[in-house]
Amino acid sequence: MSEDRPFADLRVVELGGEASRWCGRLLAEMGADVIKVEPPGGSDERNVGPYYRDEPHRERSLSFWHYNCGKRGVTLDLEDPRGAELFRTLVGGADVLLETTRPGTLPALGLGPEELRGADPELIYCSLSPFGQEGPWRDYVATDLVHMAAGGQMASSGYDEDEAPDAPPIAPGGGNAWHIGGHYALLAIATALLDREFTGEGQFLDVSIHDACALTTEMAVPIYFATGRELRRQTGRHAAWSLPRPRTQFQCADGKYVNAMFNQRLSPPQLRSIGEWLDQYGAADDLLDERFAEQQQIVEEQNHISDVLRDFFPNVPAEEAYRGAQERSHAWGAVRSLDEILPDPHWEDRGYWQEIEHPELGERFRYSGAWGIWSETALGTTRRAPLTGEHNAEVYGALGLDAEEIEALRRDGVI
Amino acid sequence: MTKRLALEGIRVVDLSWVRAGPWATRILATLGADVIKVEWPQAGTVHHQDRFTTVGMPEDAVPGLEGNHWFVEKHMDKRSVTMNLRDERARELLRRLLAESDAVLENFTSRVMQRWGLGYEQMRELNPGLVYVSMSGLGHIGRDHPYRTFGPSAQALSGLTFLSGLPDRPPAGWGWSYLDDTGGIFGAIAILSALRQRRRTGRGQHIDVSQAGLGIGLAGSAILDATVNGRPARREGFPPGNRAHWPGTPLLHNYRGAIAAPHNAYRSAGGGYNDWCAIVCRDDADWVALQEVMGSPEWAAEARFESLEGRLEHQQELDERIEAWTLTLGKYELAERCQAAGVPAMPVQSNENRVEHDPQIRQRGLFSYHPHPVLGERGYQNLPWQSAVNETTARRIAPFAGEHNREVLCGMLGLSEEELRAGYDDGWLWPPSEPLEPYLLDEAAEAGTEEAS
Repeated sequence: MSEDRPFADLRVVELGGEASRWCGRLLAEMGADVIKVEPPGGSDERNVGPYYRDEPHRERSLSFWHYNCGKRGVTLDLEDPRGAELFRTLVGGADVLLETTRPGTLPALGLGPEELRGADPELIYCSLSPFGQEGPWRDYVATDLVHMAAGGQMASSGYDEDEAPDAPPIAPGGGNAWHIGGHYALLAIATALLDREFTGEGQFLDVSIHDACALTTEMAVPIYFATGRELRRQTGRHAAWSLPRPRTQFQCADGKYVNAMFNQRLSPPQLRSIGEWLDQYGAADDLLDERFAEQQQIVEEQNHISDVLRDFFPNVPAEEAYRGAQERSHAWGAVRSLDEILPDPHWEDRGYWQEIEHPELGERFRYSGAWGIWSETALGTTRRAPLTGEHNAEVYGALGLDAEEIEALRRDGVI
Repeated sequence: MTKRLALEGIRVVDLSWVRAGPWATRILATLGADVIKVEWPQAGTVHHQDRFTTVGMPEDAVPGLEGNHWFVEKHMDKRSVTMNLRDERARELLRRLLAESDAVLENFTSRVMQRWGLGYEQMRELNPGLVYVSMSGLGHIGRDHPYRTFGPSAQALSGLTFLSGLPDRPPAGWGWSYLDDTGGIFGAIAILSALRQRRRTGRGQHIDVSQAGLGIGLAGSAILDATVNGRPARREGFPPGNRAHWPGTPLLHNYRGAIAAPHNAYRSAGGGYNDWCAIVCRDDADWVALQEVMGSPEWAAEARFESLEGRLEHQQELDERIEAWTLTLGKYELAERCQAAGVPAMPVQSNENRVEHDPQIRQRGLFSYHPHPVLGERGYQNLPWQSAVNETTARRIAPFAGEHNREVLCGMLGLSEEELRAGYDDGWLWPPSEPLEPYLLDEAAEAGTEEAS
């Protein structure tokens, strides 16, 4: 991997599991040497599927692989005084500590921000926690689902009431509460790193996943401030603050869906291009009628336009609907499943996929890639997730421990 | 104690619009960068829509360029200049601004900047240290780069939409533009990290963000389940709603952490639209604790619910029984009781709940209120972390359109008051469709002109 990646000069210690691991991977792909600290025996994350070939195995969790590629891994018992001392030394050589222990845990072990930053004022000590380090909910425990409840993701996502009257608010999948927290932790760290350039000083960062989620529902909170209204969930489109909006998600010939978002700003020429397209299938209905030369008519007949689209899409498969719309400059997209994205050559063109070797299995696998293309460097990694304690000897050796000392720590269960 | 502005002295030219780009620059502005929004509020154009739209418009709003709360929210802490970039004179002025700036960000479709003679090569010649961030659905590189997207279509293409919903129903999707929120964060990260790198290399660079590409990584381990195990996501029981696993379907992992039950949203007392509470038992210990919270009902102690396997097998009944209990309590009360026993549970909070009820958000000051001459006193969003040394809260309401024309175009770029006035009159520094507001002019000089005539 290129050594001119933006964070190639940085070392990060990640002490955390599901909340920090995505942020840790992003830091690693930006070039940082990320050392993940797991308890002796390895993190519980390793017991989460899916697994390689569906066979449960602590070194073969695809979830662990996905979130921890690019990192080195060590094991350490922080509650043992020798472990705590080793951790202090490890962090002493790092630029960033990213940690997700419950508030109060590290200070009780003498490893709080005051102690560690006192010894090393350049250290950026980032505590990423469910609700922050202070406040009435500080000690609450969370999972991805309960974060999405409290953060507002669920209140905005779900189904039209007339379509599924009993449906609950829906928490979208993929583990995105953790991602949202991780994105803001990365932003906070990137800010602190730049600040350190100017001041020479690190800082303590208190990042709340709940705050991050509550900020990640686009217009939901601003609409409350503007109008005082709660939102209503709508299938496959933005939650609405007023009347139900026309449907914009439609089923196609192959049973798959397409997102065909339009609104009252759809212009007469745009509608005409849709009408001409639909007409090729004999499905234009009256969309080519000259009354739609008036914008106001489009505004008034949005529901009718939506109905015509609903009746048209069963004529074409979803991918064809996507390409056909885009050729006419409509910002529509096929609702793809993950496996359906893989063959799209656009992502090959961008060099998006990463092929990562798994020498322990003698195989290489395709991973999702970096979030952006940089003209002067390339983000990404070639390193698979660490096996349990894989880099103990390497990392602790570099801290000055000899083989005998490392063996003694291993024997005593400290690492 | 006043906190320092992490990005003080860094100038960012903001050519963005709609949501993803403005959020990136809003983050940078709140962190203290001098963000100069270059805009063209000409009636009837899409850019005018950015300021003047029914989205985010209070019902008692004053019509005009300054009455949209959503626009103000997106542009807190920024400065504004107006110029019509379709006019070569404006582009020449923009080039002078770019030469004096550290970064520029835009989220147009992929070839707009090149058409304007402002591709990265040209901008680099003007200013080799400039960091240029482009943001679009599919990126500037790759065969489909001309394709257009909104947040929802980028989400559809990235696989995220498909991950949301109940089995055997259409995808529920995300009820907001998640990839615009997220794209904005990465636009800001790109500028921050490239500026740090510039201190080492002396050079800027172009960073091309594809929001849909970004989204593919956010599907979590689903991607490896497809590439390693060849598992299609279109399958029985997927997506499993709010559950970790849908009853009666093969026991597969569904990319939201460990399989657990109970793991769902349950109706709570009150009968309101958002009267729901999410409860999760991560393991058997959580389940034992939840039984006690529920008052140790006999049904819950039955052996068939004792193990995870049993709870999964009888998940439908388990959820119905739990809901019979949750219906007796309010959602906040439910969460409080579960949390007191160490069981993860939180209320489904609406936008109103987060503003008016959430004591944690209030204590941390995620939202704060600012007066605005047109909108009055309203709430705005801050950044979700606290630093002892750096400011993370918004300080200044969004600029009026062209509020900083004199400061920036005359003060920084050396236009004379006469040239500025001529630019307004010729319709390339102020749209002819809009009245010429007094703040756009040197009031003292204008007053003098009136006296003289």
